[in-house]
Amino acid sequence: MRRAFVALLLAAALPGAPPRFYDDDPLLAEPPPRDASQAQRRKLSDYYDFFHHLLATPGEKGPSPAQAVNTLGDPMDGAWYERRHYWKRMSIEELQRGPIRVGPPSRAARWRVVGVKNEGVTPGFQIRDAENRLYFVKFDPLCCAEMATAADQIANKLFYALGYHVPENHIVYFTRDDLEVAQGVQMEDALGRKRVVTSRDITEILLKVPRDSQGRYRATASLALPGKPLGPYRYYGTRSDDPNDTVPHEHRRDLRALHVASAWVDHDDSRAINTLDILVEQRGVKFIRHYQLDLGSTLGSASTKINSARSGGEYLFAWKPAAVQFVTFGLAVPYWAKAYYPNLPSVGRFEAKVFDPDKWVPEYPNPAFRNRLPDDEFWMAKQIVNLTDEEIRAIVRSGQLSDRRAEEYLADCLIERRNKIGRAAFHKVLPLDRFRFEGGALKWTDLAAQHGYGGVGAVDVLWHRFDNAAGKAEPAGALDPDWSRGYWMAVLSARARPGQRIRVYVRGGAEPRVVGVDHEWPNRVR
Amino acid sequence: MAAQAQEPTSRAEAIEKERDRKAAELRPETLSRAEQTLRDIQDKKLLERFSYGYNGLRAAIGNMATGSGFAIGPEFNREDLLRGHLTTRITALVSTRRWQKYESEIGLPRLANGQLTLGFHALHRNYSSVDYYGPGPDSGKGGRSTYRFEDTRVSAGGGWRPVRLVRLAARSGYVWTNVGPGDRKGAISTDRLFTERTLPGIERQTNFTENSASFQLDWRDDPAGPKTGGNYVIQQTWYSDRRFSRYGFRRLDLDVQQYVGFFNKTRRLAFRAKAALTDAGGGQTVPFYMQPAIGGADDLRGFRPYRFSGPNAMSLTGEYRWEIFSGMDGALFADAGKVFPRRGQLNFSNLESSVGFGLRANARNRTFLRIDVGFSHEGFAVFVKFNDVFQPRPFGVSQIPLGY
Repeated sequence: MRRAFVALLLAAALPGAPPRFYDDDPLLAEPPPRDASQAQRRKLSDYYDFFHHLLATPGEKGPSPAQAVNTLGDPMDGAWYERRHYWKRMSIEELQRGPIRVGPPSRAARWRVVGVKNEGVTPGFQIRDAENRLYFVKFDPLCCAEMATAADQIANKLFYALGYHVPENHIVYFTRDDLEVAQGVQMEDALGRKRVVTSRDITEILLKVPRDSQGRYRATASLALPGKPLGPYRYYGTRSDDPNDTVPHEHRRDLRALHVASAWVDHDDSRAINTLDILVEQRGVKFIRHYQLDLGSTLGSASTKINSARSGGEYLFAWKPAAVQFVTFGLAVPYWAKAYYPNLPSVGRFEAKVFDPDKWVPEYPNPAFRNRLPDDEFWMAKQIVNLTDEEIRAIVRSGQLSDRRAEEYLADCLIERRNKIGRAAFHKVLPLDRFRFEGGALKWTDLAAQHGYGGVGAVDVLWHRFDNAAGKAEPAGALDPDWSRGYWMAVLSARARPGQRIRVYVRGGAEPRVVGVDHEWPNRVR
Repeated sequence: MAAQAQEPTSRAEAIEKERDRKAAELRPETLSRAEQTLRDIQDKKLLERFSYGYNGLRAAIGNMATGSGFAIGPEFNREDLLRGHLTTRITALVSTRRWQKYESEIGLPRLANGQLTLGFHALHRNYSSVDYYGPGPDSGKGGRSTYRFEDTRVSAGGGWRPVRLVRLAARSGYVWTNVGPGDRKGAISTDRLFTERTLPGIERQTNFTENSASFQLDWRDDPAGPKTGGNYVIQQTWYSDRRFSRYGFRRLDLDVQQYVGFFNKTRRLAFRAKAALTDAGGGQTVPFYMQPAIGGADDLRGFRPYRFSGPNAMSLTGEYRWEIFSGMDGALFADAGKVFPRRGQLNFSNLESSVGFGLRANARNRTFLRIDVGFSHEGFAVFVKFNDVFQPRPFGVSQIPLGY
């Protein structure tokens, strides 16, 4: 701690050391991307990803502050993330629409099946509609009609509202007669042998799919993302062929904080395989945009079956819990095994009573999640709690569950889990945000108080003059800040939260502006 | 001054400088050799191809009989003929104890929308050193002898599933049997200890017609790896001696399995009660090699394989299983059982018992390897098996003696 402090001072004192704030801070959007058209598609190995993360610990470790953020601590709009609902409240309709810009597959003609996946338990198709748009069609497992498709739809909309790039997914209903096989389409059997798809193949595949009371099949139709797919991104390191990818992924705030969002919707499958890099073109520049994909394995769904009770509670394997179970003959019952799940097949296993956001883990270690710090959690939690009960219920309705009880239960769980996330994250750092300069004074919102989690009470403010070039702060004493020039730093603290502080930086001028926010908590390493 | 001149003057510029640095080092994405290998294994479906074999020709491992030792051999298995409507399997296994097993099956598993199945089954076994400890419950551990058991069976049958949970099946076939001197070093051959009078069937073997009918009620949540529910089977088999009219008998098999999952099925109680009751009648007798036997990997696990043999047998097994991690379960078990001369002795008195513990490796909810260590008043036994302890027998197939 002391060494880090000295290093900081030395760095600040060195000639040529960059100032703490530049004139364009805080940057709300990343600078226009560089051309990345030379990036090539590469496929990762799921097996390797599993064993590598389970047995090794890839990526840089350590409690270093998150990167790829502006001076307010927010990731900038760009290839990874966009500031959405928290910064500009979306209407109910916008939340329900999410990423939808094009629409579901056209009904003007039968859908042409141009690709078939018949491996595993749950099959899938690729179809082209009358307008030649390509969609990936995925189904629910036989055990649980509506479960995976609803989970995908709901989590997709939630992740969109939280700022992530997600594909445009639709719930569609169709009959066998709505499909026809395009000529010469090939499929692989379980052994990788190719053969031409026949109409009978489609019929047989649909035998593995549940039908509704009207005999229709229900599916998620995911519009192919525009651009060239390059394969998944990893949760550590950077792409070596992308000039815009400069921050190791395990240090990106948007990926570290994804832990909290994943915990909320129980996205235990949050690993490389469920992400996708797409080479897109905007304003004549080709660059890589990073997507979250395949959210059908969220909420109570494991895509091809009901979620395991273990989901989110423990890694698939970890030495210590396994040793405890082994030596206690299972008498040490893990907390997650005690959860109660109502019998709602279209929900699967999802609950909020034993859910603990601090204990939640994905199926196997995720380097970005592992590096998360309290301010990363706070950043995501503030977005999650910003979604009201009504907004959450509206998004859950987009899952089109036919069982009203299931819909209500899912929404209730998400609301309760949201509140647990808020309480946990807001307890670790001072939950003050939305800093602004109004009426000649610094204002803020106590998010804990606003959302009913118990506010922090009286906040003490200690103003400092801030030397931006040297990075040094000096107590202003009894003087009132002179807002007309220079930089000022307020240190906010609350008696009820010892050790927790926020440094808020204000740039003086004709219109003083908050340019920096920095949370502190006990034992923070800077 | 020059160094200072290169310093960025804005945040955007600072980011651009980072990009400059990265752009100067751009190189194609590469995977480590280990990752490439694993990816290729997955992409080329090498595991699936290995499991499937070359055009269905593959290696079969295990699944011979308790006491056989490690068994391996070629297998031709096709489940994709006529688009999955016709299945065939031909297996030849040889074990480390030089036991041999040749088996062939042809099935039509998806008739009448899967409600009806038909199948043909042929089997030849040549087990060179099957343990035999003497007839009845009073046999001693020190009385172990061995004999060679050979049989050839052909049968055809069908199953009908009138409703989802219920299955009825019937089968008819023919059985050729032969018994000879055992060839295990250090163990006496059974034919040197017993005569035809004291052990029916030791000197003369016969051929049988074999006809069976069975009923099954199965409401397990996942028959391959059940955590809740039950499976109840009753099967009656008629064996008719075609050579001497002396060894004909009836055999009634009962198999009750019950699973109770708790703590979200991360812990389970599994119970099994089995009974095999034979009835010769009319001056006939049940040859010793067709009598049920208990002891070994599937029931009395603290005893050696085939430790008790008699005209009737029953066994009770209770297991507590718990999840150690997602691919491994632990188990504590208690077994009890006995063989008895008369059906009227089907009760809970004079039971032999054993207790023990085990580990089960699972993949996709199926046990593919288990290690059980059982303890009894006769010592302990360790079993390594490639199946579930309550492994479902191919339903509708005759209850093949040698254990049950």
